[in-house]
Amino acid sequence: MKRPQAQVAVLQAADAQKDRRIDDVAAEADLKPEAATRAAFELEADGLVSVSEETLEHYELTDEGDRYVRESLPEQDLYEAAIDAGAADGPVQMGQVIGASGLEGGAVDIALSNYARKAYGSIDSGEITANQDADPGSDPEMLALEAVADRRVEDADTDALDQLERRGHLDVREETVRSVQLTDDGVTALMEGVEAAETVDQLTPEMLTSGEWEDVAFTEYNVEADAEDVSHGKEHILRQTANRVKDTLVGMGFSEMEGPHADAQFWINDCLFMPQDHPARTHWDQFALEEPEEIGHLPPDLVERVRSAHKEGVGPDSEGYHSPWTEDIARGMDLRGHTTSLSMRYLSGHQVGELDPPERYFSVEKVYRNDTLDPTHLLEFFQIEGWVMAEDLSVRDLMGTFTEFYEQFGITDLEFKPHYNPYTEPSFELFGTHPETGEVVEVGNSGIFRDEVLTPLGVDCDVMAWGLSLERLLMLMYGFEDIRDVHGTLCDLELLRETEVIR
Amino acid sequence: MPVVDVDPDELRYLTGHDEKDDDELKSDLFNLGLEFEGWTEDDEFQLEFAPDRLDRLSVEGVARSLRYHYGDDRGVDIPNTNSADWTIEVEDQPDERPYVTGAIVRGLDMDEAALESLIQLQEKLHATMGRKRAKGAIGVHDLTMLKGNSVTDETGKSITYTSADPDEATFVPLDADAEMTPSEVMASHETGQTYGDLVADFDRVPAIYDAIGLFSFPPVINGRRTEVSVDSRDLFIEMTGTDQWTIDHMCNIVCYALAARGGQVEKVDVSYADDAPGEYAGKTLERPDFSVRTKTVTHDRIESILGVSLDSREVIDYAERAGLDATETESDDGMAYEVEVPPYRVDVIHPLDIIDDIGRALGFNSLEPTYPDVSTVGGRHERSRLEDAARDALVGLGFEDLLNFHMTNEVENFERMGLGPDTTGGDVVGQTDPVTIQEPYSEDYTILRTWALPSIMMVLENNTHRSYPQDLAEIGLAAGLDDSENTGVAEHRTVAAALARTDASYEDAKARLQALADAFDKNLETPPTTHPSFIGGRAAEVVLDGESVGVIGEIHPKVLVEHDLELPVAAFEFRLDALE
Repeated sequence: MKRPQAQVAVLQAADAQKDRRIDDVAAEADLKPEAATRAAFELEADGLVSVSEETLEHYELTDEGDRYVRESLPEQDLYEAAIDAGAADGPVQMGQVIGASGLEGGAVDIALSNYARKAYGSIDSGEITANQDADPGSDPEMLALEAVADRRVEDADTDALDQLERRGHLDVREETVRSVQLTDDGVTALMEGVEAAETVDQLTPEMLTSGEWEDVAFTEYNVEADAEDVSHGKEHILRQTANRVKDTLVGMGFSEMEGPHADAQFWINDCLFMPQDHPARTHWDQFALEEPEEIGHLPPDLVERVRSAHKEGVGPDSEGYHSPWTEDIARGMDLRGHTTSLSMRYLSGHQVGELDPPERYFSVEKVYRNDTLDPTHLLEFFQIEGWVMAEDLSVRDLMGTFTEFYEQFGITDLEFKPHYNPYTEPSFELFGTHPETGEVVEVGNSGIFRDEVLTPLGVDCDVMAWGLSLERLLMLMYGFEDIRDVHGTLCDLELLRETEVIR
Repeated sequence: MPVVDVDPDELRYLTGHDEKDDDELKSDLFNLGLEFEGWTEDDEFQLEFAPDRLDRLSVEGVARSLRYHYGDDRGVDIPNTNSADWTIEVEDQPDERPYVTGAIVRGLDMDEAALESLIQLQEKLHATMGRKRAKGAIGVHDLTMLKGNSVTDETGKSITYTSADPDEATFVPLDADAEMTPSEVMASHETGQTYGDLVADFDRVPAIYDAIGLFSFPPVINGRRTEVSVDSRDLFIEMTGTDQWTIDHMCNIVCYALAARGGQVEKVDVSYADDAPGEYAGKTLERPDFSVRTKTVTHDRIESILGVSLDSREVIDYAERAGLDATETESDDGMAYEVEVPPYRVDVIHPLDIIDDIGRALGFNSLEPTYPDVSTVGGRHERSRLEDAARDALVGLGFEDLLNFHMTNEVENFERMGLGPDTTGGDVVGQTDPVTIQEPYSEDYTILRTWALPSIMMVLENNTHRSYPQDLAEIGLAAGLDDSENTGVAEHRTVAAALARTDASYEDAKARLQALADAFDKNLETPPTTHPSFIGGRAAEVVLDGESVGVIGEIHPKVLVEHDLELPVAAFEFRLDALE
C-alpha cells in the first residue's frame, strides 16, 4: 500500500497498545503538528487509526509569577524581615519591618494580606508579630510556582494553583490534546507493508502523459494565503454604460447614426430652428472654430428652405422669427453642442438617402459645451439621442417609448413636465424616480419636432426625439459624485480598476 | 433659463387669492412650469421657467397666468386704450437702429413694490427679447417732465426719435449730476461703459428729444429729468431697436403689466418721416398694437398630436383656459378652429403652439402612455461595431481602456511629445494641422487632438502613485484640418496603446500589436522609421496589409522625463479603419 509520506510516518509512530499524543508522533516523524494531525484524521477516515481527544489545563507563569519564583513572595520577604527585627519575641513597629524588607508600593499590601492568611504572624495597631513556627520555606504556593516553572505541574497542590491564579501569578488555558492508537486494520496494514508515496509541488505534463499522477501526492498549499494583485484589462466604465444603452436601443429597433463632431452651425442650429440671435448661440455657450472657419458646401435648396422657415415660417399661420438670418452664420463651423446635428443630417436625406417612415435612429456620442468644469459638468460629454419617425405620432407615443427606455435602467414613474425648446412642440422635460434614493430627478428632454424643422428637411410625417447625457445616466445608476474621476486625463486608474462592471 | 423674483404677497394681491399659502402658490406655479428655485434676500420667490413665456417676466404676468390656471379668467383679454394725444416723430434716426415704438400709461398709483416690478420687467425683457438691449431697449419716463413740441394738428404733442452727434449733444444722465455728452457717458458712466459698445461704431448715436432738449440716449441710458419714482402717475414708454415686431411686443408686455396695476393705456402715434431709414418710411403706426393674431388649427391635428379624442366644446374650453379664444370653423382639412392669440403672447408663431397650450390646459400627465405600433429593425453602425471589436481585443490583451477628452492644447498634443507646433516637423503620426477653437477661455482646451498617445501619456503622468504595470489603451476620435473634406476636417478613430512597466520593451508592444493584427486577419509589417516621440532605432511604421497606418516604438526618454515617468513606456498608435 502507498500512502502519503505524512500518513506513513504517523502509522509507523503510532502504537497499537496505547494512545500516543500526536505532538509526540509529529516530533518523532519530523512533521509539523498540523500535518501530523491532518494525516491522523485521514488515517482515521480509512479506519487505520483511532483518534482520541482530551482537554488539558495548561499553566503558565505570568510576568509577576515569574519574578516571584526567581526571587521570593512578598509575604516571605516580610516574614524574614519581621524575624530579623525580633517580632517572634513580641510586637515590633510595622514601619520599621517594612522598611527593612525592601518592599515597595503594591507589594506591601500583597505582603500584608497574605502574611496573616498564611499565619506567618499577626498585625495589630501598626505592630507586627511573627509566628516562630511558620515555615515560609515550604510555602505551598511557592512550591506550586516552582512546579509550574519546572513544568512539573502534576506535583503542585491544586488549591495552591487556584490561589496563584487568583493572585494573577498564573495563566490557565485549556488545550485539546489529540492522541492516536493503531487499530487492528492499521496493524494489518503495517504488517503487509506501507510505502511512502512521493509528494510533488507542480503537476507536470509528463506526469499526466505517463500516468505518474496516480501515485503521487501533491504538496499542500496554504490555500487561504493572499495572492498577488493582478491588474486586468477592462473596458472603461462609461463605454460599458454606452454599450448597455446601445444594446437597449438596438433591442427597441433603433439604428445607430454616425457623423461629424466638427460641423456647420447650419446642421447644429439652423436646421433645428434655433434663431441666429438665440442666446445659446453666442460664443459663451458653443465652441466656434477658428480653423476651419466655415463649411465647404451646404445643399443650396435646403439652405433656402431653412432660411425661409426662419424668416417666414412654414405653412399657413406660421410666422417664423423676427430675427436676422444669414447663410454666413449658418456656414460657420462649431464643435457640435448636441448630436441632434446628426438627426438633422439623417432626416434631410443627405446622410444615408431619403428615409421613409417608420424609422428609429439613435446615437450615443460626444458633444461639446462651453460650460464650467465642475463635478457634474464637462466640456465634452456623451449625449444619448434618439428619434422615431412615423405617421401620426402623438405625445402618448412619446411617453410610451421613453417610459419603456428608462425602465430598462430602473428609472420608473416617469413624469413629463411641459417645457420649451425652439425645435420641438410640445416639449417635455423628463423626470423619473432614482432607482437607489427614490428622489425625483431630471432624466432628459424630449418633444415632437416642429413643422419649421421637418418641412424644410422634406419630412412630411411626425418625428419625436429625446436626449439626455450618458454621464447623468451613469451617475444616476451607479452613484458617482464627481464625473471628472472617470472621464478625461485626470482620471484615477485606481478608481477605474476598482469600479464594479456594468451588467 | 430666465429667473424672475416674485413677492408672494403681491401674487396673492394681484390674483385675488389671499387664502393661498406659500406652499400652495409654489405648487400651482410648478404646474404652470414656473419652478421655485429659492428665496431672495427680500423674501421673494425666485422662479425659473423656460424662455418661451416672456409675458411672465413680472409678478403681474405670473398673476395673470395663475388667474387663467385657477379659472378666474377665461379667453382673450384686451385692455381699453384711449386714443393718441402724443406722437413720436421719427427722422434722421441711425440706420443701424431704425425702429421705435411707444405708449402712455396714466393714472398709476405705484408703491415701491410696483415700481420694483416695473424695473425688473424692464431688465428681464432687455436680457431676453431685447438681446441685451441690442435688439430692443426700453425707456420709461415720467410724462409730466416732458414738454411736447407742437405737432401739425396743433392740439397734440410730440417727442422726436433722431440721432445726435456723440460729442456735441448734452444731457444729465441717470446717476449723474452734471451735463455729459454721449461720448462722455460711454467713456466714464458705469451704465455707459456696459452698453456703450452697442452704439460705439455709430457716426451719430440714437437720441430722443422733447421741446426742452435731449432726454434719452437709447439704448444706453435715460436722462435724469424724466426719471420715474413712486410719485410718478403718468408714464411715457418708448422702445427703440432693430426690429419693429420685437419692440412692439416688448411694449405690449409692459403695457399689460401696467394695466394690471390699474393704469389706463393711451395710444401713441409713431410717425416715420418720408425719408426715414427702415421699413416704415412715410408711415404712421398706432401703438401699442393690441390687435389679436388669428391662427387656424384643425381638429384632426389636435387629436393626432395629443393622441386623444376630444369634442369641439372641450377644445374651446381648453383654449379659453389657456387665455385664448377659439371658434369652430371649416377648413380644407375638415373641422378646425380659428384661435385668437392675445398681443402679449410672443411665443405663439405656429398653429402647433396652440396645440401645446391646449395640451397643457388638458394636463399632459393625465394622458396614458402608449407604445407606438410601428416596427423597425435596429442595429449598430459598422464603425462602432469595429471600434467595439478592437476594444474587446485590446482588453483581452490586458489593456485598461481609457476615455479621454478630444479637446486638448498644442503643448500637450505636440510640444511635450517632442513634436513641433505645425507640419514642418515632417509627415509623422500626430503631426497634422489641428482644428482650433475660436477665442478659447481655457488654455487647456484650444484644439482637437490630432492623436491619442498624448492623452495616454497624461493619464500615466497623473497616476504615477498607482501600481504598475499600467497597460493603457484608448480608441477614440482624432482630427486634423483637411481641405478635401466638406467640413474642412478629417475625423478618424485612432487606436492607441501604451505599456508602462519596469521592463517595457519594443518587443512587448509589437507582440500585442501582432496579436491585434492577427485577430483582424491583417498582415503586419514594421519597417524602421523615425518619430520625435520615440527612441531612434526603436521605432517603426505600423503597416497593415501594405498600408502605412501608424507608429510603434519605445517612447523617448525626454518625453518620459517631461511626463515625470520613471520607467520605460512602449507604445503604438494607428488608424482604426485599417482593421476594417
